[in-house]
Order: sequence, then C-alpha cells, then structure tokens
Amino acid sequence: MTVATLTCAMVMLCVLFYVFYLPGRLHLGPEKTRLAYLQERKEAIYENLRDLNFEHQAGKLPDQDYQSLKSSLEEEAAGVLAEMAQLERAGAAAVFSNRRKGARV
Amino acid sequence: MSQIGSFALLLALALSTYSFLAGILALARPGPGSERLGETARRAGIATFAVVFLAAFILVISAFQDNFSIAYIFHHSNRDLPAPYKFATLWSGQEGSLPFWSLLLSAYGLVLRLRHKTDARLFAYASAIIAAVQIFFLLLLNFAAHPFALMQGELPADGAGLNPLLQYPEMVIHPPMLYLGYVGFTVPFAFALGALIMRYPGEKWIHITRRWTMVTWAFLTCGVFLGAHWAYSVLGWGGYWGWDPVENASLMPWLTGTAFLHSVMMQEKRGMLKMWNMWLIFATFWLAILGTFLTRSGIISSVHAFAQSSIGGWFKWFLVLTLVTFTFFFFKNKSHLRSEHKLESLISRESSFLFNNLLLLLACFTVLWGTWFPLISEYVQGNKVTVGPPFYNNVAIPVALLLLLLTAVGPLLAWRKTSVESLKRNFMWPALGAIAVGILMMVFGVRPWKDISYFYALMAAMLAALVGLTVTSEFIRGGRVIARHTGQNLLASMVHLFHRNTRRYGGYIVHFGVAVVIIGILGTPFNQDKEKEMGFGDKMTIGPYTLVCESYTQDDNPNYSNEWAIISVFRGDRKIETMYPERRFYKASQQPQTLPRIRSSYKEDLYLTYEGVNEATGRPIIKAHLNPLVMWIWVGVLIMIGGTVLALIPNAAPVRVTAPARIQAAPVGAGD
Repeated sequence: MTVATLTCAMVMLCVLFYVFYLPGRLHLGPEKTRLAYLQERKEAIYENLRDLNFEHQAGKLPDQDYQSLKSSLEEEAAGVLAEMAQLERAGAAAVFSNRRKGARV
Repeated sequence: MSQIGSFALLLALALSTYSFLAGILALARPGPGSERLGETARRAGIATFAVVFLAAFILVISAFQDNFSIAYIFHHSNRDLPAPYKFATLWSGQEGSLPFWSLLLSAYGLVLRLRHKTDARLFAYASAIIAAVQIFFLLLLNFAAHPFALMQGELPADGAGLNPLLQYPEMVIHPPMLYLGYVGFTVPFAFALGALIMRYPGEKWIHITRRWTMVTWAFLTCGVFLGAHWAYSVLGWGGYWGWDPVENASLMPWLTGTAFLHSVMMQEKRGMLKMWNMWLIFATFWLAILGTFLTRSGIISSVHAFAQSSIGGWFKWFLVLTLVTFTFFFFKNKSHLRSEHKLESLISRESSFLFNNLLLLLACFTVLWGTWFPLISEYVQGNKVTVGPPFYNNVAIPVALLLLLLTAVGPLLAWRKTSVESLKRNFMWPALGAIAVGILMMVFGVRPWKDISYFYALMAAMLAALVGLTVTSEFIRGGRVIARHTGQNLLASMVHLFHRNTRRYGGYIVHFGVAVVIIGILGTPFNQDKEKEMGFGDKMTIGPYTLVCESYTQDDNPNYSNEWAIISVFRGDRKIETMYPERRFYKASQQPQTLPRIRSSYKEDLYLTYEGVNEATGRPIIKAHLNPLVMWIWVGVLIMIGGTVLALIPNAAPVRVTAPARIQAAPVGAGD
C-alpha cells in the first residue's frame, strides 16, 4: 500500500467516524408557533414606535404627523397583543384540560 | 499528492450528496430517527469543508513544490514565480478557482451549520440547499474541470507561468474578495428558499441573514472596486471601468444585492415586499452564478475571463435548474408571501426604497442587456454587434444621479407618509447647501449648458453635497436628542447615537462613501491625455505638469526582462517627482505587460505609460493621462467598507426614557 492510499483510507475513516458516530440524545427544537411569530411582530412594531418617537424628538416630524403615525402603529400593536392574549388563553385552557384528563386516568 | 487531492474531491462530492439527500429526507419525514438522520446530514456538510480544504491545500502545496506533473500547476506557475503569486495560483485559472469557489461555499456552510441551534429546522433547510449548490460545483470539479489532472508524456522542466496581468499584488486579494461576495449570496438565498419551502412564519430569517448579507455585500463591493483599481493600475489604458463583460458580471449581483439590502428593511419593519425580496435574493444568487458562467464558459471575450472551456453547458443546466426549482416553490407557496401592509403614500420611506429598487434593477437590466447583446445579435443576425461604453453611460449616469437623489432624500422621509411641512423642515438647509455648491462650481468654470457631461458633473456634485449634508444633519439631529437626555456634548452624543443603532448610522456612512465615490467619478469628463516619442531631455506638457525624459534603460531577471523610462515631473519650475513607466516581457508565458506609474493627489492623477519603442528611432513612446479626482473613488470605497463594518457592530442596549406612547414606554435611539 502506498502512502497516498493509506492517507486516503485514514481521511475516509475519520470522516465516517465524525459523520455517523452520534452518542447521546439529539433535539432539533420545537417548530415555530404562531405565538412566537406574533412576539416577533410585536417587537418589530415596538421598534417602529421607538423609531417614530426618536424622529419626533429629533424634530423631523411635525406634531400632527407624529400623532397620526403613532395612532396607526398603536392600533397595529393592539391587534397583535389581542391575538397573542387569545392564543395564550387557548394554550392555558388546553393545558388545564389535558391535566384534568390525566387526573381522571 | 494528486491522488489524495482527487480522492478528497470525490469524497467531498459524496459527503455533499449525502448531506443534501439525508437532510431533505429528515425534513420531509419527521418522526423517530429523523433527528439523527438530520444530524448526520449536518455533520456531512461540516466534513465537506474539511475535505475540500484538504484538496485546495494540496493544490497550493503542489504550486510551492513546482509539481508540474499536475497540468494545472504547469499551466499557471513556474519555478521563478514569486511566492505570493504561487499562493494565488489557486484562483488564477479555471480548474483552480473552482475548488476555491467550493472551499468558500463549504466555509460559509461550516459557519451556518455550527450555528444551527439558532433555529434548527430553518438552518437544516438552508444547509440542504447549500449542499445542493455544493454538489454542482463538486460535479464540475470531478468530471469537467479536474484540478488534479496529470500531464501526459515527459514531465516539463518548468511551468508555463502565470498570466502577467495577474502578477500584481492586488490580484492576490481581488479574486478572493469577489468570490467571497459571489459565493456569500448563496447563504441568504438558501435561507430565503428554505423559509419559502417551509412557509416559515415571520421575518426572522431576514434577521438571521442580515449580517451574512452585509458581509457578503462588503466583500463584493471590495471585489468590484479592487477589480477597477487593478484595471486602472495594470491595464494601462488610463481608466478604471470599461464596461467589460466580466466587470459587468460582477456589477449585476452587486446592484441586485444592494436593492435587496434596502428593500428587505421594508419586510422587517412593515411586512411588505415579501415576494419582491424573494425574487431579489434569487436574482442576486442567480446573477452571481451567471457571472461565474460568463467568466468561465468562453462565450464572451474579456481581459478578465478564463480561457474557453467546456463547462458552459454545465452552468446552463444549473442556471435552468435553479430557476425552475425556485419558480416552482414560489408559485406553490406564493400565498405565504402576502404583504401585511400597503404603500400609504408616494412620499414615504417605503416609496423611496421602492424607487431605489426600481432604479437599481433598471441599471442591472441595462448592464445585462448590454453584456448579452453581442451574443443575441450574433444569434439573430449572424454577426456580433458589440455594445460600447456610450450605451451604458446613457442609462447608468442618469440612473446614478437619481439614486444619489434618493440616497439623500430617503433617510429624511418618515415611514408610511411624509407631509409637506415635514419635507420643508428636513430639506431646506441641505438643499440650500447643495445649491450653493452648484453655484460655486459654475463660478469655477463648470458650465452645464456647454456640454452634457458638464451638466452631469454639476448635478453629481450638487447631489453628492446633498447626501453629505443630509447625513450630517441626521447625525446632528440625533446627537442633540441624546445630548438632551444624557447631558453629553454633541460629539460624544453622536458617537453614543451611532452605538444605539449601528445599522442605521453605519448605513449613513456607507451613503456618504457613495457620495465621495460619485465625486471621484464626476472628474471623468475632464480627463486629458497626450502621447509623445521622448528622447533624452525631450519635454511634454499636460495640465500643470511638465514631463522631461531623463533616460531610458532596460534590465533582465529570471522571471522577466523589462525596459522603462526615467521621467522627471515638474510643476512650474519645481521638480516634484521622478516616475518610471515600465514595460515587461515575461519569459515563461512569453507575454508582454505595460506597468503604468501613477502620481495621485486629491486633485488629480498623473498617469504615465511606456507604450513601447519606435523601431526607427529607438526612442520610447510615453503616454500621459491627467485624470482629475480619481483618488476620491478609492477613498469613497474605503468609507463605504468602513461604514459596512461599523454597521455590523451590535447595538448598545437602549436607555429607557419616558415616552408618550400608550402601549409601552419606548426607549430612545433604536429602529431603522
């Protein structure tokens, strides 16, 4: 066997060991939920509000524009918060119902 | 050595194929065992990097060992080639640059796969897509452009040498920068396509890829401008951009990538332009592959292109396959990409981004059309009609001016809508400043009615001033707010402001850099050149300079023989410099090269080339160019890169101050 063949065999063995030797448990993590998505939206809207607030303080926006833009962002945030609250209530109810079923069993 | 290299490339292909297939299978059939299968796919992707690295390492070592039994090393190196160029052999030719492409892609893939815990499923999709792209390049390497192919017959004593045009220090870094840009756009594309396939809820994939995109864009910017600087410093025609097809190939993904960087903010902030952004990032990836195809297929002639080869067909199929795959998933999951808001006003930050995108795409289409027109005309009419710089300039200059206007205007517009009062408030001072610059230029002799190029130069100067002033006003206004809250002085407050939103203010610095680049470009209409045969003591005058030929001589070394002139440069009666324009003849490759000499100042470049010797008189012919403001281009690019690097710094935590918002107290200094 030549040095090149031996080296190739060594490389192959190392690669196979690294790829297929998986000790212990693996966990991919949960699927992204609608609630997690709404949380991201909420953060984006709050960031937009902070930005708007800053631009107003910097004198870039007249009061009238500021109030109108702020109101529309607040409405958007309220919608997201309401849906989040609804999902959280539904989630809590599902957990409660599962516990009751478990208690009966 | 070549056996190990060949084996490494085959193993890399096997690993990438496994990473793709196992990755797709694990994602398609979630259930017991799929997590372990997915993990082996991820690890196979990581191992791909190791084996591609091994192959590239062997190729470089072979260049240093002058192993001319490998055909690629024979064709692109020789014994007397200086060490840095032996290292650059890796990307100097077709068969070497493809493993380099593959190496960079696997390196990006490595980083992505190591960070998989951020969002395991999304990363698994992106990893599989990157593996698919990797398979294509490894198939090319193994079956169409093998870098470890051996020489037939008797081994040559020395190599054919590196192309003389590539024997320039910038060539050691220009291709890696360009490739890092080209290859890097695969990552945001992979995330975008992954998010589309899995109907990923929300815009977090944009947040994840934001830094990737910015880093990639910075590399591509570096690559494009290093290419321009290389052309200026090496090719000897006195210019930096010739609308060469390969230059165009690097510009197209840069234009769409720039559009994506802007419009993606609308998706993050307002949930708008989701379909548009999908197509933009796909177009950027696709154009990067198209650029690679143009450079390598031999279908276009260019000083930057690789030799004719047979790999064009492979690229065509890959381009078609990616287009079909993307289009299929786009139409399948189109409903997932509905906009959450509509454009409320034509005078808003959103509309400025939209117009910016349309202009960038118009520029990209123009460049694409001009690049392909010779081929289309040959196909339709049977004869190749070449498109020259006037075609590009007729579109590119007005588009660049409009883009500069948007660069100045955009940051001053509010999201959603901007009132006339707000416009007046924000624009009055910057606009007055820009008008003052215009008047000053006319006073100093730039008469826009004399020539269209003077009109463009005047407009560019005014708009560049407008950009500079709006950027300054943004820093001052923001700095004042911080100063009010913290009691710091204005300068400290502006630094503070920058740290609160590095992406926004780093972006403004990039805009400022763009304005400086435009100032440099606007010197072009005022370029002058002269050519003269110069004997001992002969003089030539150009602009404020008088050139005197002191002597001309020649030399010889193992790599090349050369001849050059010794030119004294006078400004008035004062001697300010001695310059040595040179011409070399490389022995191994049997090719000549002109080496211009450049004296740069902030006002102008004096650019001298040694054009050769008049056979009848034996005297050298010297060409002198006087190119105003060129240095501003390179300074502007440095500012652009600096701004991008600053934009990559993580934001400092915002300080919470009382804000009159009903939802929640809003901290100052965040947002975009």
